[in-house]
Amino acid sequence: MTTKTDQIIEQVRGSRVWRSVFRSGSGNSTLHRALAIQQNVFLHLFSTKVRKRMVSFSSTWYLGTLTLGTFLILVVTGILLMLYYHPSVPQAYADMKDLQFVVSSGLFLRNLHRWSAQLMVFLVFAHMFKVFYRGAYRTPREFNWVIGIVLLLITLLLSYTGYLLPWDQLAFWAITVGSNISSAVPIVGSKIHFLLLGGNQVNANALLRFYVLHCVVLPLTAIVFIAIHFWRIRKDGGLYVQQSEPRAQAAAAPPLPAKETK
Amino acid sequence: MQSIRKYISSAWQALFGDPVRAFGVVSLVLLLALAVTPTKEHFSQWHSYQRKYLSLIRDRGDAVSMRRRFEPGIHQIWMPELGVVDRCTTCHLGLSEASLADEHQQPFRKHPAIPHSVDGFGCVICHGGQGAATTVSEAHHSERDGEAPILPTRYIEAGCGQCHQNAMAGTPQLNLGRTMLARYGCVRCHAVTRPDGTKMMPTDHPPSLVHVADKTTREWIYSWLKDPQAYAATATMPNYKLTDQDASDISAYLISSSKPQPGDTSAASVKNASAGSATNPADGASLYGQSFCSSCHAVQNAAGNVVGGDVGPELTRIGNKVKPEWLNAWLNNPRIYDATTPMPHYRFTPRQIATLADYLHSKTDADYGANVQLAAATPQQIARGRRLIIDGGCAACHEINGVQTPQNFAPDLSTIGSKPLAQIAFLPGMEHTVSTYIVSKIRQPRAFGGAVKMPQFALSNAQTDALTTALLAQTGRSRTIPDTLRVAAAEDTNYQPAGHAGKLMTELACFSCHRINGRGGDMAPDLTYEGSSVQRQWLTDFLKNPNTLRPSLIRRMPRFNLSDSDNKELTDFMLAVYQTSAVDPDTAPSATNPPQVVEQGRQLFYSKFACQSCHIVDTKTDKGYIGPTLTQVGSRLTPAWTYAWLKNPQALRPGTAEPNQKMSDEDARALTAFLMSLKGTSGKGAKQ
Repeated sequence: MTTKTDQIIEQVRGSRVWRSVFRSGSGNSTLHRALAIQQNVFLHLFSTKVRKRMVSFSSTWYLGTLTLGTFLILVVTGILLMLYYHPSVPQAYADMKDLQFVVSSGLFLRNLHRWSAQLMVFLVFAHMFKVFYRGAYRTPREFNWVIGIVLLLITLLLSYTGYLLPWDQLAFWAITVGSNISSAVPIVGSKIHFLLLGGNQVNANALLRFYVLHCVVLPLTAIVFIAIHFWRIRKDGGLYVQQSEPRAQAAAAPPLPAKETK
Repeated sequence: MQSIRKYISSAWQALFGDPVRAFGVVSLVLLLALAVTPTKEHFSQWHSYQRKYLSLIRDRGDAVSMRRRFEPGIHQIWMPELGVVDRCTTCHLGLSEASLADEHQQPFRKHPAIPHSVDGFGCVICHGGQGAATTVSEAHHSERDGEAPILPTRYIEAGCGQCHQNAMAGTPQLNLGRTMLARYGCVRCHAVTRPDGTKMMPTDHPPSLVHVADKTTREWIYSWLKDPQAYAATATMPNYKLTDQDASDISAYLISSSKPQPGDTSAASVKNASAGSATNPADGASLYGQSFCSSCHAVQNAAGNVVGGDVGPELTRIGNKVKPEWLNAWLNNPRIYDATTPMPHYRFTPRQIATLADYLHSKTDADYGANVQLAAATPQQIARGRRLIIDGGCAACHEINGVQTPQNFAPDLSTIGSKPLAQIAFLPGMEHTVSTYIVSKIRQPRAFGGAVKMPQFALSNAQTDALTTALLAQTGRSRTIPDTLRVAAAEDTNYQPAGHAGKLMTELACFSCHRINGRGGDMAPDLTYEGSSVQRQWLTDFLKNPNTLRPSLIRRMPRFNLSDSDNKELTDFMLAVYQTSAVDPDTAPSATNPPQVVEQGRQLFYSKFACQSCHIVDTKTDKGYIGPTLTQVGSRLTPAWTYAWLKNPQALRPGTAEPNQKMSDEDARALTAFLMSLKGTSGKGAKQ
């Protein structure tokens, strides 16, 4: 049975169509496996080869991958939500309620988007703490840490812009308060405030602006930075694992306090 | 501890031991999670209501046809121009099922008959609530984000009032509420704008206080201010809960600011006609009755019941209030003291004035205000009185010397019915609905804090509910509905008859009771077409000495003692001006007819059309009290009017109780002939 299935899979992978799509071809050799990674537009961002302990659970707790997972869920559910939502003042709240009242599984869709968003913010922070406390932000990965900071900001902005879209009282006042914070910036504060809301108070223009930011500008920016983030992992020598570091660098690192007390 | 750890690690191994197994387990969990949502939908509230409905109609006689009309799934009424998305009919499935009239359990009850179809207007337009919702709690009770719960059924007429600004037969509570808004002075302090932009205007007649000292004393004003209802139970003036000092200071200012006007008793010193000869109290009572004073004025009788009309003030304790010389002058001609009073100028003889004045002065309550002793007021107290008057907004209703009428004195109530709950400061323990808020505000305005200026009105529960209904109709939605759906309020025109007759009609205050060309009261018949309707001789006699036309009515036309020339002037004017083109004297039957036609008319009267069920022709046998007595109709109405009336009463007087019998020309002619034969005071015509 198993051999038969394997045979069929081998046959498919050897076919012309498959080869035209996946150029690495079939085979189990190290070269083939490396090519499978290197020749895939998405996977080639990653190292073709990693040490097993780099991908072990304990070294990263998979926090970065989980964050990506929530991001993908948000993209999918977000696109589905966009099918039911009009960013206009009389319609936005009613559309949001209609998801609950009449759209099949609409409430599930909305809740999935909402909880994934909350989870993503949590995971981003957890990921950064993990990186920070393991010292993975240090040379040569300091630039990737900065990219990570940018991604944190994008995540928070996505969260903030999404907050207005239900167009309920909570959203309205939260954005009113939040946008007023920007007016506190010296000299250009009121200009920023005006630019952000498309007016002097939260209204139709603000809703449209936040919608465009939330659904187009910020996600695209996030994708670009996520790509750079992943690409830099390979460029900076793979995922950080303490034991994988060259000895010289490990010695150069300041001794741990625990070691000192011994 | 060790065993638990071992157990967990073996469970982990079993579930996620190798990648394939972990993938399988995760997939299974995801599948289950995705299955939960459709399951939840299947067990949703509206599904279970639709299942219940199906089992309810299963055993009914017309189950087959009802089931055919039933459509599973979410129902929706969508009216973009009204901004309505109503899904109420998803659960309320029997709204238009006639055979569910016996069903009393919601949500399957049949809707009571109304002129509108559910499909044409939806539900939330009238009932409020969230039409788009598909759960009971969201649809009926949601308060979040500017949403308002549904309108309690007792105020449901407010729903009608959003489009209908006119009084309707089916909405007595709303009509009363609107009348009260105008009559109790509400709209003098609060602006209430209708959706079409017109303002609700007051219809009350608060007396001017610019020369109040001519009419009454400071002591009476003090007692009145302290508690208006103690003086007259039907007083519409609210209680301002004034302290003794406040009432004393305000009364001091009113008296001190009062300036004599030309014609005042103090200035002109009208001769007291009763001087010298005492009058008979029984004469006074009978003159009071003959003049039909009680059509407008009420008096509390010995049993404590208030009897009489509510156009003028209650007269139970009138002797306590007015000065004798003022009363004489007032009865002589009320328009000298108050040019805009609804009271007619009766043209009493001096003797009659004396009789009536003595009779009214006998209506004195010795206990009322007996222990009011007011010391002469200091200038400081008078100044304080003025400040209190300004603070209290007294001049919003009363004209007062030295105080300007305040503008926008109280909050605008034009959209009070849809006031967001988040903007209302509810009292602790109060139900969070706009209706409860309005009711409490009317009942106990001062409970909402010491700074509230609104006074305490003496209203019954029915009156409070009526006012609440009228205010709840003032919604934001009513402003956004298309103009084509709006029914405008029937506003009085400013019709004013011209010439000497017009002056006479103003003096006699005809418009206080009669309506002419869209202006006037509804107590007495509309006189717009009176000239087409009645015969000259009858009108002259009637103005001289009005007799009873409608036995079922208590309020009747008083006698005005008009001079012959005035009488002729008025008769001529009415006959010439109040004509309608709908009545054509040329095609109408003549006043005198051959006996066989009259007899044919009598047959039609008693058998075919059974007119005697409402009208009296023969006082001995007929019992109809609803319509006017017709024993003398032949000398009252013109044949042309009678004929046109019989053909189509509603065309001449819309809304009259007389049914349109759709008579043939021949029947109408015969009946007219019969009615025109009814001339005599002895019922001669009926006996022939």
